Amino acid sequence: MIRFTLNGRLVETDQPPDTPLLWLVRDTFKLKGSKFGCGAGLCGACTMHLDGAAVRTCILPIEDVDGAAVTTIEGLGSRADPHPLQVAWVEHAVPQCGYCQSGQIMSAAALLAANPAPSDDDIDAQMSGNVCRCGTYPRIRRAIHAAARKGQGA
Amino acid sequence: MSGPGHGRAPALTRRTALKALGLVGGGLVVGVPLAGCGSPPPAPPPSAGGGLAANAFLQITPGNEVHFVLPRTEMGQGVFDGLATLVAEELEVAPEAITVHHAPVHPDFRRPGSPAQGTGGSTSLSGHYAQLRQAGANAREAIRQAAAAELGLPADSLAMRDGRVVSGDRSWPYGQFAKAAAGRPLPADVELKAPADFRVIGRDRPRIDAWAKATGTAEFGLDVDFPGLHRAVLVRCPVAGGTVRAARTDAAAAMPGVHKVVTIFNGVAVVARSYWQARQAAEKLEIDWHLPELAGVSSPDLRRRMERALAEDGSEAHKAGDGADALPAGARRIEATYWAPFLAHATMEPMNCTARIADGGCEVWVGSQVPESARGAAAHHAGVPRENVRVHSTFLGGGFGRRLTNEYVAEAVAVARAAGVPVQLIWSREDDMRHDRYRPVSLVRFAAGLDGDGRVETWTVKRVGPNIAAHFTDDLLETIAPEFLPWGMADWASKRGHWFFENVMVNGSSVHGLFGDYDFPHQEVRHVTVDAGLPVGYWRSVGHSCNAFFAESFMDELAHAAGRDPVAFRLAHNAHDPRMQAVIRLAADKAGWGHPPAGRFQGIAAHNSFDTAVAQVAEVSLDDDGAVTVHKVTCAVDCGIAVNPDIVRAQMEGGIAYGLTAALYGEITLADGIVQQGNFDDYPMLRLDQAPAVDVHIVPGTAAPTGVGEPGLPPIAPALANAVFAATGTRIRELPLANHLSFT
Repeated sequence: MIRFTLNGRLVETDQPPDTPLLWLVRDTFKLKGSKFGCGAGLCGACTMHLDGAAVRTCILPIEDVDGAAVTTIEGLGSRADPHPLQVAWVEHAVPQCGYCQSGQIMSAAALLAANPAPSDDDIDAQMSGNVCRCGTYPRIRRAIHAAARKGQGA
Repeated sequence: MSGPGHGRAPALTRRTALKALGLVGGGLVVGVPLAGCGSPPPAPPPSAGGGLAANAFLQITPGNEVHFVLPRTEMGQGVFDGLATLVAEELEVAPEAITVHHAPVHPDFRRPGSPAQGTGGSTSLSGHYAQLRQAGANAREAIRQAAAAELGLPADSLAMRDGRVVSGDRSWPYGQFAKAAAGRPLPADVELKAPADFRVIGRDRPRIDAWAKATGTAEFGLDVDFPGLHRAVLVRCPVAGGTVRAARTDAAAAMPGVHKVVTIFNGVAVVARSYWQARQAAEKLEIDWHLPELAGVSSPDLRRRMERALAEDGSEAHKAGDGADALPAGARRIEATYWAPFLAHATMEPMNCTARIADGGCEVWVGSQVPESARGAAAHHAGVPRENVRVHSTFLGGGFGRRLTNEYVAEAVAVARAAGVPVQLIWSREDDMRHDRYRPVSLVRFAAGLDGDGRVETWTVKRVGPNIAAHFTDDLLETIAPEFLPWGMADWASKRGHWFFENVMVNGSSVHGLFGDYDFPHQEVRHVTVDAGLPVGYWRSVGHSCNAFFAESFMDELAHAAGRDPVAFRLAHNAHDPRMQAVIRLAADKAGWGHPPAGRFQGIAAHNSFDTAVAQVAEVSLDDDGAVTVHKVTCAVDCGIAVNPDIVRAQMEGGIAYGLTAALYGEITLADGIVQQGNFDDYPMLRLDQAPAVDVHIVPGTAAPTGVGEPGLPPIAPALANAVFAATGTRIRELPLANHLSFT
């Protein structure tokens, strides 16, 4: 039995230990905000936080999350109680098709948690693991800077 | 999350589709006039809440909800917001106050003049601009007149503002009069607002689907789930078009969680409780395939075959003046050959479809650009009449033309039928990359003649490659042909498409964009079909995606051959097209054409597609190792009135990123008929660290809107290649550019 916290709630599963976390969260725990994009850790659509760090969950076996804290986009914020990045994402009209955006926001949230005032280079380094086919990159950059400025009280 | 309906999927009537949308209430439902005899029952209002339902699109309930049924699919291009804005403008409500529903399949939701319900060709705003404003205006007047009667006030004394009927300092919500409005004759052809009076059209607003997409709550096809749903993985022949000769399935069937292993028309599927179980078990399948002719094709052979075909005369696609007869000899004749490869769409959401067959009906949940065709495919593979099929549309995790075919719907329904359980069929990224409908490969040869003053007198071009319409006919015709035709007959007819487009008529999208932007006196465009059998399809901007690269790169060559500035040279050849002239001037002006920052080099390209004029200036630099950096793209667009200008800018940014990915890296190759690329490691994507700044300028306009989903794409490849020429002196005539240069 593997146990971990999922968005602050203790969960357990008897799924095979090599099951990728993404599919456990989607198929068993029915949280659909994290997306399947490549199955190879190449696109970032499945990004969640594992003890605060952004991880690609389509290749993360659940045996590696035993005892850890997992946060998904659903745990990051909601329309009623949004994370500042989600507010910035709406204000800057970042999403187009929207499919990659949960992963984009989770990557960005991990960045801001560690680095509240990231430079363009910091954003490049953190965000280049997340693919967006709609080409929202310039807006993603603007929205991260905007959320960072708000976080700094600017 | 969506769930299945109960029992047999009923024929769509006004009442049942209300239920299908899972709403209660009633009120005003506003519809546009339906076709005459023999048409199906009216499309249902989106909510069962009653009240005013004056057409298929709009319902105002006594509870003051405004429901709008979105007739096109939302794949990022912004129709969810843009079309709701058209209704909101005339109805006098805030777009944010409207609840938007994805439409069921019904003729009312076809774009006016279109034979089937679908989304493509950058036509949503232009196609529905008048119709949906009319729907909103008629509903507004219905409410006004009902309010006037109830309140005992003259109708023309009532103002309609922000969802309320206003008289002096008193106001009442629309919903209060919805029931009364529903009992009165519906106004028709109410006069529409003048553009000067628009309150929401033409204004920047955050798009109304942004919150759902920023919080992970927007439902895509892959997110559909309900109790009892199984997951399926299908193993297809590695060579497109192959079929199963024999399969050993025992080992897969014995794997944990596996419900059943089934063979369908194009492969063997594992149906299991979870996706991961199905995927693991699918690894154990051993399948022997009947291979199609494509198995004998590899990319280098295909390239040679296409080069040989350049010598053929081909079919005339376009001619003006004396055509090729006007070509001069000697130094004033300039020739060049260009190449573009197959491309995959690589939408972020891999293909998927959820299907449930029960009680003589079938339900599918799918993000499709052609839901009407999805219905036909589902009906055939479920063995039920079309009227017993319900298509539940979801958001699309990217379309770009990929979701204009429905083979994943056919597969999911066939698997569900064979397995006897509801299934969600999920393609892996590798399935998606290797079983796409690819952007066609193209080889093009130009020959042009300059006159003594350095003007282009003659422009001729021959294109060699496959025709999308032939494949599309194969994919779709039988799903939308009249249902009384036997499937085999429709299939036979659709197969004739290949012959037709090879011998009778040149497929427009094979050559569009190779001519038309410039007013040369003598023009000739010819076409030779070479089709290796790899399925091809509509890829964002279709033929323009590569034809603009060819034509606008060659135009740059001619400018340099004539010793002219590329901007001035273009303007000297398109005086017939003031919109193109304006966007070229605007892009050049905003980019500081001719005066780039030190160490930077510029290239320009301009192209009309889907009735929208776009010009782009790319700005690049070259490092000491000869690697190119793309710093900035300046884009000017004329799309008539910009309903939501920020979405227009976003679509230009998006078209540029999608086109830049293809220009730099995109290439699908074949070895023995098998697509060699599988994931984002060998089919690389533009990423944030390489994404240039994009500066978009919209030509102010009040003309009816034209498309923006595709036209932002075609100019970027030639603008970049022309900038690379300015920087390096090297003319690259083949895509992707990264095969010839490195990019940082």
